[in-house]
Amino acid sequence: MGTTLTYTEVELVQGLSTRDEKVFTYLYDHYSPALYGVALKVLGEEAAAGDVLQEVFVKIWRNIDRYDPSKGRLFTWMLNITRNTAIDSLRSKNHKLDQKVTDVNSASLMYEPQLAVHLSVDHLGLSKVIERLQKDQRIIIDLAYFKGHTQEEIAKSLEIPLGTVKTRMRNAIIQLRTLLKQL
Amino acid sequence: MDPQHVISSGIIELYTAGIASEKEIKELEAAMAQFPEVAAEVAAYQRAMEAYVQMQSLTPDPQAKSFVFSNLNNQTIMQENTLTPDPSAPIVSIERPKGARWKWIASVAAVLLLFSLVLNYVFFNRYKIFKEYKDKYESLLLSQNSILSKSNLYKARLEQMQESMNVIQDPKVLKVTMPGTKAFPTALATVFWNRESQQVYLKVNNLPEPAADKQYQLWAIVDGKPVDMGVFEMGDTVNLLQKMKITGKAQMFAVTLEKKGGAASPTMEQMYVAGKIPG
Repeated sequence: MGTTLTYTEVELVQGLSTRDEKVFTYLYDHYSPALYGVALKVLGEEAAAGDVLQEVFVKIWRNIDRYDPSKGRLFTWMLNITRNTAIDSLRSKNHKLDQKVTDVNSASLMYEPQLAVHLSVDHLGLSKVIERLQKDQRIIIDLAYFKGHTQEEIAKSLEIPLGTVKTRMRNAIIQLRTLLKQL
Repeated sequence: MDPQHVISSGIIELYTAGIASEKEIKELEAAMAQFPEVAAEVAAYQRAMEAYVQMQSLTPDPQAKSFVFSNLNNQTIMQENTLTPDPSAPIVSIERPKGARWKWIASVAAVLLLFSLVLNYVFFNRYKIFKEYKDKYESLLLSQNSILSKSNLYKARLEQMQESMNVIQDPKVLKVTMPGTKAFPTALATVFWNRESQQVYLKVNNLPEPAADKQYQLWAIVDGKPVDMGVFEMGDTVNLLQKMKITGKAQMFAVTLEKKGGAASPTMEQMYVAGKIPG
């Protein structure tokens, strides 16, 4: 995506603040696949992910004035909105379903081949990074990032001590960053 | 706080994965604001996470785009009509569930409509009652006016009758009956003459209605000469005592029919009634 950008982040933020629909269209076209990917990863269901995507773009449109560049890039901010919205939606849904599926099961379900939506992405080099990331590293990152689990919840899900969660998570993130640097 | 210590503490990795505690987040964000190298390190991890997330991108249903934009247009309109949201509220909780806002608006609209219908009914009924009273009031006003005017008429008549009675009953007033002449035997009129005030009154007892261009004229005969006492009206006024001119002396009164407005001297052939003063 980085090479196709015609707006800088600053220009995007300004355009959004002035309610420029052209900028918003650009934003949608360039970021909706990533945001939709997040929502789908969190919820595992296309209809629910589509609903979350709607909500997310409304929030971006309405709350752009609250974006603080000192805390991270616009993309990270949008990802966080998407995560929070999707996780909230998941929680209210799980609550309704009375949590039939245990967290461990849903965590392993994410890695079933038919749900591996990321394979359709054209970033082949990047896909290889995922493949080279150890499965347990991906699981721990995904539990935290896509399921919004706390350290305690992760410890319980993976049946590992709380201290180990921190260590493993740290290693997983460092590994991820190292793999990406090699590209 | 040492920036290198922050970087090597592992807090950035946990922050990036989204499992840092509230306290850790605050500390790290403070360090980011203070030390550019910490901020740069966080940014590097965030980019790695962004890249990881982006690997799992999936283009949504093309229909979703039009939904998003129609949703946005609604939101924009809504926002213009509502207060700006509280900027301190957390991002996550700001959005109402979709549809709830419309449900809310719809229920408010329904309540308002119901309220309006009730008011319409109440006010329409009041209007009907009001209109009824207004009609009654107007007809009462009309009848009161007609009663009032009739009453005024009667009052005026009564006053005139009273006046006539006063004249007739006054002992100083002399009554002179004027019987019909040979030519008009059925004609009859009476003069009342107050000798003190010299005022002459006339009462028509029976005279035929004259032609439109003619009028009766009263004469006093003073020392053999006719003196004009004025013309008088017929019609309704014949029921009343009519005030004529004054005369100090008279031996006789007579009425002739003259041209309208009266004549300088009486037309003897047209003398209807005549009466001598007794004594």
